Amino acid sequence: MNIRLARVDDLLGMQACNLQNLPENYTLKYYLYHALTWPQLSYVAEEDGKIVGYILAKMEEDVQEGDEPHGHVTSISVLRSYRRLGLAKRLMIQSQEAMATVYKAAYVSLHVRKSNRAALGLYRDTLGFTVKDIEKSYYADGEDAYAMRLSLKHLAR
Amino acid sequence: MPPAGIPPSRALPSKESGLFKEVLHYYEDRQLKKGLKTADAILKKFPNHGETMCMKGLILTHMGRRDEGLELVKQGVRLDLTSHICWHVFGLIQKGQKNYEEALKSYTQALRFDKDNMNILRDAAHLQTQLRHYDALVETRHTLLRLRPQLRQNWIALAVAYHLNGNLTETKNVLEQFERIVKNVPDYDVEMSEILLYHVRVLEELGAYTEALVLLDTSAKSRAIIDRVAIMEFRARMLSKVGSEDAQQAWQGLIEQNPGCYDYYKGFLANRGVDLDAITDETRAPALQALRDFSQQFPRAATPQRIALAIAAGDEFQELLEPYLRTRLEKGVPSLFTDLKALYRTPQKRDTIESVAQGLLDALAHPPDAPCPPSIDPTTYVWTLYFLAQHYSHLGQHARALALLDTALAHTPTLPELYLFRGRVLKRAGDPYGAARWVDQARLLDLQDRFLNARCGKYRLRAGLIEEAVEVFGLFTKKDAPSPSQDLEDMQSLLYLTEEADAQLRNGNYAMALKKYIAIQKVFDDFEDDQFDFHGYSVRKFTVNIYLNLLKWEDTLRSHPAYVHAAIEASRILVRLHDEPSLASKSASQSHLSDAEKKAKKKAKKAEKKVQEEAKKAGNSTNEDKGLDASPVKDEDPDGTKLLQAPEPLERAAKLLKPLATLAENNIEAWVATYDVSVRRKKYLRALQALSRAHALDADSPELHIRVVDFKRRWSSLSEKPSETVASAVTSALSKLLPDEISLELFNSQYLQQHSSRGAAVLAAAKVSRSLGAPREEVESILFNVLNADVELDFETAAAINAFLLEIQSPREDEFRTASQQKFALSTLFAPRAELPQLRKSAVQKEITEGEEVKEEIIS
Repeated sequence: MNIRLARVDDLLGMQACNLQNLPENYTLKYYLYHALTWPQLSYVAEEDGKIVGYILAKMEEDVQEGDEPHGHVTSISVLRSYRRLGLAKRLMIQSQEAMATVYKAAYVSLHVRKSNRAALGLYRDTLGFTVKDIEKSYYADGEDAYAMRLSLKHLAR
Repeated sequence: MPPAGIPPSRALPSKESGLFKEVLHYYEDRQLKKGLKTADAILKKFPNHGETMCMKGLILTHMGRRDEGLELVKQGVRLDLTSHICWHVFGLIQKGQKNYEEALKSYTQALRFDKDNMNILRDAAHLQTQLRHYDALVETRHTLLRLRPQLRQNWIALAVAYHLNGNLTETKNVLEQFERIVKNVPDYDVEMSEILLYHVRVLEELGAYTEALVLLDTSAKSRAIIDRVAIMEFRARMLSKVGSEDAQQAWQGLIEQNPGCYDYYKGFLANRGVDLDAITDETRAPALQALRDFSQQFPRAATPQRIALAIAAGDEFQELLEPYLRTRLEKGVPSLFTDLKALYRTPQKRDTIESVAQGLLDALAHPPDAPCPPSIDPTTYVWTLYFLAQHYSHLGQHARALALLDTALAHTPTLPELYLFRGRVLKRAGDPYGAARWVDQARLLDLQDRFLNARCGKYRLRAGLIEEAVEVFGLFTKKDAPSPSQDLEDMQSLLYLTEEADAQLRNGNYAMALKKYIAIQKVFDDFEDDQFDFHGYSVRKFTVNIYLNLLKWEDTLRSHPAYVHAAIEASRILVRLHDEPSLASKSASQSHLSDAEKKAKKKAKKAEKKVQEEAKKAGNSTNEDKGLDASPVKDEDPDGTKLLQAPEPLERAAKLLKPLATLAENNIEAWVATYDVSVRRKKYLRALQALSRAHALDADSPELHIRVVDFKRRWSSLSEKPSETVASAVTSALSKLLPDEISLELFNSQYLQQHSSRGAAVLAAAKVSRSLGAPREEVESILFNVLNADVELDFETAAAINAFLLEIQSPREDEFRTASQQKFALSTLFAPRAELPQLRKSAVQKEITEGEEVKEEIIS
């Protein structure tokens, strides 16, 4: 098992992993956009050449007046057959460190389905995210999302 | 060549000249209606003004009236061949159509008449990069830099151009010059950081490690480079290369920062003289010691422990294995077997794993009827059973694996992994219907899980249940998509497209299979196009390192297994079409859309009608900018018959296979496919070269054997050989594959004798025998030998032999099928044809018990 920075040749594997696990999918160009704008932020878990988990992350482009720069997790997923290894946690931590170090991100945000208890457990209990907001009908199928946030001040150098 | 004088038809009187400038402004602001109106005003008085005509054509294209627009632009160019505006517009349109070669020609023309036009130069640079014309790119970037040296991107773009053109020294010079003169760099600037990291990379590639380290350290200290991970990685790598004492600490720092990264441990140990891929008795002990230390320092990290398992041997391996296995079985880690699978390449390790795991199981075993004793952890018990099932199935002992799974299922009927794997075992044993049924059971345990859903869909496709598969996939695809298949294709799911194509092929639906393989080809074309926008974007963002990696990846894009497979399979269909043109018309009459597909077709038609109506309403009164990109093509061939009937199948096949010659050169199937196409195109030398390449990869390959004979027969039967040179080249190359003096019958029987213990080889020999005119009984007796115990035969080959016996209308086909069924007891591929509908039905049955009852009926 190898946890490392995502490379260009990983993107198709990330896309395949995403298609198998989540209903929110993207064309390759969107993955390229992330990798070629913020090359330090996306990580993969790789085993024997196969991408079994990934985090696709960016810095928020539209920063509101008075708001600090902050990171955003576009998508994170681990194949079902590779769960219980703490991969999601490690991918998240690597990405957060890069957000704080390279981009001086003050916090990182993400969206999660209200009904996704497993993910909620990871973000809230293991990683320390808090719920900032509820965004109604955020997902294409109409489900609400929790907009969650985690401060990265502790990683500032 | 200097531009000719302005032709009289270009010059406009002051009023219209002013109007023309307005047209340009309107276009830039995308005020399309106004632009169109103004252009028409000019054309009323000056109907042959090429430049206005081109602008009007450009505006029309933006408004969605693409065919009209293109025509007008072409006319405009013809009317004013020395106008840079006309050529620029033409180039823009062609670029939008992804016709990069032609677009570059237009841009080059435009530059002849306005050589310092920054817009044209920039677009030309992007096209040159896309087309890999790096010499020209360097020149263009030089011009751009000369014109605007104050723009930072122009410096970086030039450096990148030199790099792409293979001139690292010049790259270095440009970067150094840039760094000397750049001013006002803000503190902690990400862009400058990336530029400096790029510079370090260039120095590393030049082998100037010391210089690179100096630049790296200075920049890191001054916080000019702010990417900590990149700094540490570069440092560790280069300190190792120069043999510095500080290297060890650098690697250590990397591991501390990310203890899950295999590459860091590899680098650390390599720095100590230990090659993880080539462990020796001397290096083993210090390596294990280091890994032990790391494991203690990072108890939560699996990586150092796993590496230790890879390099340990004998008793030490067993000592390390036990706790590794035990912790993960107690935790219930589903990927444990996959994790250890690589170790099975070493037979002793495989045996040790078996004995340790079996030992753990024996300690946990308890009577199935009684409840689990308190001393035994039920989780560990189930996962140990699961692990051993995977172990035995991997070794081909499928019945044993099934028994273990059944024990586990009785114990914990709610664990999807057990059902999933039971399905997988049945798949490996040749029962795709049972496999699909069990995976469906897994899916039903957690309907929110897309992974289980996707597996179920895949297994249904493998069982040839295409409609049922699409139905399942449809539970997670977008509701507003025309169909689940279309959504998965739009989202570029290579896994889905491949599985569906393969399923259609297995079902004999060549049209749909070809359609899906070509869809895969289109996806890769899109992947290739995706890089285009980044030629400008990455230079503006200064993310040069990864941009260069992108170009490199694109250069070998079609080496991806999904493309290789699609190209090979599509070419096979096209070759069959060439050999049997009636297949195309037969397919058309047979083609029936399934209910789901009919529904989707109706839905798509309705949606399209709606769009057309809306467009009509809005069309003339909208300013909506539809851009220059070619609009998405409507699907006018839903059942693939048009594709199947399209002309020149061999040429199309050759085009598909072309990239494989360099990108899949170690793939024997690719060479065999290339042969099949080349020989039918009468390119004998190329065909023979393909055989020689295949021969170099695997001289005993059954598919190769068939083709060698095929070539000799075709060549010998040529009434007129092509030129002398070709003939002599062929003769000499052929003699290396097939001794000249012996008859083909003898050659074949020698091959058969040599490889009589390999089922696939026997089948090949039988096919050749048949093609040489041997009587059917003889062919049959060759084939029946595979049933002997000492012949290596898998169910796939047995099924292929079965199909061949059907093809030659052998009366012994039933006999063979029955014998195969006995040999492959768990397989359902040899069931009597009459049972097929029932088997298919059972695969999507809801309850397992129902299915079992049905099966009993079949047997009795």
